[in-house]
Amino acid sequence: MNARNIVAKKEFNWKSFFLQWEWLLVCIFILINVINTSLSPYYLDPKRLLDATMTFLDKAFIVFPMVFILILGDIDISVSSTVALSAVVMAVSYNSGVPMEIAMVICLLVGTICGLINGLLIVKFKELSAVIVTLSTMIIYRGIAYIILEDQASGKFPAWYKFLGWGYVGGVPFILIAFAIFAAIFGLLLHKTTFGRRAYAMGNNITASRFSGIQVDKIKVIIFTLAGTMSAVTALFLTSRMGSTRPNVASGYELDVIAMAVLGGISTSGGKGRMLGAIISVFLIGLLRYGLGLKNIPAQVLLIIIGLLLIFAVMIPNLKFNIGKTRKAQ
Amino acid sequence: MSQYVLELKGITKTFPGVKALNNVHFQLGPGEIHALMGENGAGKSTFIKVITGVHAPDEGEIFLNGQKVEFKNPKDAQKMGIAAIYQHVTCYPDLSVTENIFMGHEKIQKGTKRILWKEMHAEAKELLDQLGANFDPKTLMGALSVAQQQIVEIAKALSTNAKIIIMDEPTAALTKRESEELYRITEQLRDRGASIIFISHRFEDMYRLASRVTVFRDAKYIGSWGVREISNEDLIVAMVGREITQLFPKKPARVGEELLRVDKLGKTGYFEDISFSLRKGEILGLTGLVGAGRTEVCQSIFGILPHDKGSVYLEGKEIKVKGPLEAMELGIGYLPEDRQKQGLVLEWGIGKNITLPAIGKYSKKGWLNEKEEAEVAKSLSEKVNVKANSIFDLASSLSGGNQQKVVVAKLLTADLKVIILDEPTKGVDVGAKSAIHEIMSDLACQGYGVIMVSSEMPEVLGMCDRIAVMREGRITAILNRDEATQETILEAAMASKAEAAAV
Repeated sequence: MNARNIVAKKEFNWKSFFLQWEWLLVCIFILINVINTSLSPYYLDPKRLLDATMTFLDKAFIVFPMVFILILGDIDISVSSTVALSAVVMAVSYNSGVPMEIAMVICLLVGTICGLINGLLIVKFKELSAVIVTLSTMIIYRGIAYIILEDQASGKFPAWYKFLGWGYVGGVPFILIAFAIFAAIFGLLLHKTTFGRRAYAMGNNITASRFSGIQVDKIKVIIFTLAGTMSAVTALFLTSRMGSTRPNVASGYELDVIAMAVLGGISTSGGKGRMLGAIISVFLIGLLRYGLGLKNIPAQVLLIIIGLLLIFAVMIPNLKFNIGKTRKAQ
Repeated sequence: MSQYVLELKGITKTFPGVKALNNVHFQLGPGEIHALMGENGAGKSTFIKVITGVHAPDEGEIFLNGQKVEFKNPKDAQKMGIAAIYQHVTCYPDLSVTENIFMGHEKIQKGTKRILWKEMHAEAKELLDQLGANFDPKTLMGALSVAQQQIVEIAKALSTNAKIIIMDEPTAALTKRESEELYRITEQLRDRGASIIFISHRFEDMYRLASRVTVFRDAKYIGSWGVREISNEDLIVAMVGREITQLFPKKPARVGEELLRVDKLGKTGYFEDISFSLRKGEILGLTGLVGAGRTEVCQSIFGILPHDKGSVYLEGKEIKVKGPLEAMELGIGYLPEDRQKQGLVLEWGIGKNITLPAIGKYSKKGWLNEKEEAEVAKSLSEKVNVKANSIFDLASSLSGGNQQKVVVAKLLTADLKVIILDEPTKGVDVGAKSAIHEIMSDLACQGYGVIMVSSEMPEVLGMCDRIAVMREGRITAILNRDEATQETILEAAMASKAEAAAV
């Protein structure tokens, strides 16, 4: 019973290092690239590959806050409607005489407010789950977008605005650079700050977090607000690529985004997963789509493949767990 | 016919890396209440799982009434008349009492497969009547108190015609009065011919109920004795393998000036007119029956459950605490009652758990400083003497006592003045219990003011300088150490409503 020495240094263990989910993603990623290369000789062209990222990175900005939301054990399915509403408000503002720079700020503000409303509703009405709240606001935000613009397109943006979605900096697409910057910010926020640590704690045990003095409501509101802001960022890039916007843009983005995060190893029950996995899976799904597109394989096939990958992603950790259990029981 | 209803010989069970049971013996006579004791981690839980067919033993034999048996699964054991009632009641809170009792063996009409509700309710009522319970079988399980839920579990065991009933720490969550009720029911079961294995950390339970006691330690069988043959000291030595000289090692601390004063605190529906003060170096006990409002008062001071009347003063200044963060910044810490749900992130290492409340302190402008954090976690877990190898050991892998030490270590990260401990030794083994008491006593010596909520009489009497007794949301007595006895406390805790009105 004498005071024992408790080790404070983590030993490096090759086995547990390679047993991480991210390695499996890397393997699938390589596999997809090998298949794509063998299917189409044009696939590995670096210029084309870089350009390809422009086609799928717009929605990827929402993956970052979605990782936080899933880690809390919550979900936000209103993000696609937030994209639509902020894009529509921006376009309408611009076309009624507001300078484009201000319209873009308005876009970010609208998204942020949408997210803030979600967060406040979830925190103030504890009996409502995040699914219900964001399902309601998903319908409401999209509805407002339709009221503002009815079923038409709005565009004719200034030429420089195209740069966001189509421009290059030193040969690299601007959208890829923006993605990398946001990835670094959100990755550090999740893994290297007290904010991230507290989010993980809340996802694992919200009651213990509250008793530990964590301001759980405040953190939750901030995270849902971030989801709104990043949805508006997506709106900026998406609108730039399309040149105009309609109230029905970005439909289904919420599911794509959640799928990317889950495939990235973020548990929907909260508390588990890393940003790196989500980032790998953004490229995994994106390049899969691009590669199959080169071969003119219909989009429906892609949906089936993504669906299968998701089931696989959810199943593998359970399999591992079960194997461990049967071994114990023997 | 053997003289034992249940006999286990040479049971060994190994899990990867751990020998959970090592050549263990056990004999249960007919109509006997047999206490099974041992520290947390001694192998009691695994042993129960072997008897109930959850785990198959690697070696050894099980005899029922002299017949060798092998359980392939829990259903086998249930068919042979073995039932277990667990410490944490495993019930369906949204279903009725009847449904809980008959879960898995519902009464069904042959042919139509219709559930015979009327018959089930009637039989449930009969079972509850036999046990002296006065609630309706149609009540939802979740609406019952823990003690009542336990009665339902017992009724469930009876409904399967169990002849051997295992009770795993059934009194852990019960008050004194509820425990008495449970004793009565347990004896009633015995008188009807059932044999009972009773697992508990409370010596009180054993002396009150059991005729024999078996002790396990470190997965090994230590011995069996008649309860009257073995002295308390010998039993403790058998359980911990060493002598614990003093169960309540309270050191005299210098009691200083007033630290905390609570004045006419009230929260409608929970507690009313609560006034007491706490001085530096003092341990104030807060006792009474479970449900008397003790936890609520503490949580109100800590800012979890805001009060609507009265005021709290810290070092003479009135404070208005809006939440736990503010309370901790002011210097008030609270160790919650339920360490697993309220105290720990079980899937995390003990290090990250310990630093969680003060994570802001071990960071620069929000950036984590993992090196400093690890050092603090190491020194604190050594200070409270957690039995672990590294700070990365998962909290879920520790025994109850060591988990509690981790929760205590969490408190020590903050700069506190007042420490509130809510049932700090509930469900904790003897060794860890005395370790926690020692920490408490040290804290008082260092000038902290300590409030301890506890239902356990010897602990309250042994550790506290003053004892506040609560009943039905009010403080009925504040006793000094020298005037407090088991009787005076009980009197204050249990006087009837009519008496209280007369005062």
